[in-house]
Amino acid sequence: MNIRRTSIAIALFAGASLLGACSKAAAPETAGPVVLENGLTAKEQIETRQAQLKKMGKAFKAMNDEMKAETPDVAALQAAAAALKLESGGIEDWFPAGTGPDSGVKTEALAAIWENPADFAEKLSDFRAASDSLAEVAPGGDLAAIGDAMRVTGMSCKSCHDTYREDD
Amino acid sequence: MTTGQARVLVWDWTVRLFHWLTVLLVASMWWTAEEGMMDWHRRIGMILVGLISYRIVWGLIGPPTARFARMVPTPQAALAYLGDLRAGRHKVSLGHNPVGVLSVFAMLLALTVQVSTGLFSVDVDGIESGPLSRHVSFETGRLFAEIHETSFNILLALIVLHVLAIATYLVFFKDNLVRPMVTGRRASTDFDASVADNRAGLIRVVIALAAAFAAMSAIWFAGG
Repeated sequence: MNIRRTSIAIALFAGASLLGACSKAAAPETAGPVVLENGLTAKEQIETRQAQLKKMGKAFKAMNDEMKAETPDVAALQAAAAALKLESGGIEDWFPAGTGPDSGVKTEALAAIWENPADFAEKLSDFRAASDSLAEVAPGGDLAAIGDAMRVTGMSCKSCHDTYREDD
Repeated sequence: MTTGQARVLVWDWTVRLFHWLTVLLVASMWWTAEEGMMDWHRRIGMILVGLISYRIVWGLIGPPTARFARMVPTPQAALAYLGDLRAGRHKVSLGHNPVGVLSVFAMLLALTVQVSTGLFSVDVDGIESGPLSRHVSFETGRLFAEIHETSFNILLALIVLHVLAIATYLVFFKDNLVRPMVTGRRASTDFDASVADNRAGLIRVVIALAAAFAAMSAIWFAGG
């Protein structure tokens, strides 16, 4: 997979440099990195969302760790639930056009995201609802209710990843 | 235990059971991981913890063909064996041959790495994780998961090599190595000298089993 992707990248790069060489005489334009509408480059956007998603994974692990512990640290559990909501803030804006696999930046996000925008948006809003309700339930300290909310949230993570992320 | 047909015991029943259970369970681990059946992946992984623990203890206290210290070949023996094979001569070894045993050690090591890293692995979503993962950070758990993935590929390559070697013996040297791993026996005429007793002593089996259960229980309790 990686080798194939690299060779495509090399081919694209070679093609682009040829084109660049041809057009240089006519229009002295420098082909800098693509800037998205939000002002970030594709690389910056992809790296930002990967960093945020990792923080979300970390928060989820922290919750699971407490649920598995003999005497769960409820404060830590609540902090992690709040962190999940905080770190996922703005997730709807993390996948602008141009940040898919054809951006040339290493990403596991599949092109299917931009092919099914309505379904993808729905999955994000499912996650938003689930993580919101988890953050609402957590301060109550009811472990059973928190566990249920965690399962719903975790399933929303998975259902999206199964369709829109490269297999691990 | 030598039967009337003059067949001698090469592999004791616990080594054979270990071998075939490992085949079955490694295949199941691959399947469950691919299919995302992580509950089963963890359960079967725990059984593998027991199996590997048994085999390691058995390598210390088991009969001659199972014992690690006796399995380690000298470089001279390995080279001489390779030279014989290249000249088309196949001298049957009692137990592992001096070259094949290296692949056995490599597979046992890879299997141990595979199962140990799995215990601490965390998926990128922080949702699925090994039984001991709560004792490590998210980042460390991710690192374990990456080693877990790499070492599986190494294990797979070693298994392919193992099967190819067995096919080679069957095709080029007309020696079926699978049958002794099922029945435990070979014709006594395959060997020059009399063969040491390779039976599994009951008390030793109990000791190794106890160690296997201890390892599984320790992980069970530490995991919570």
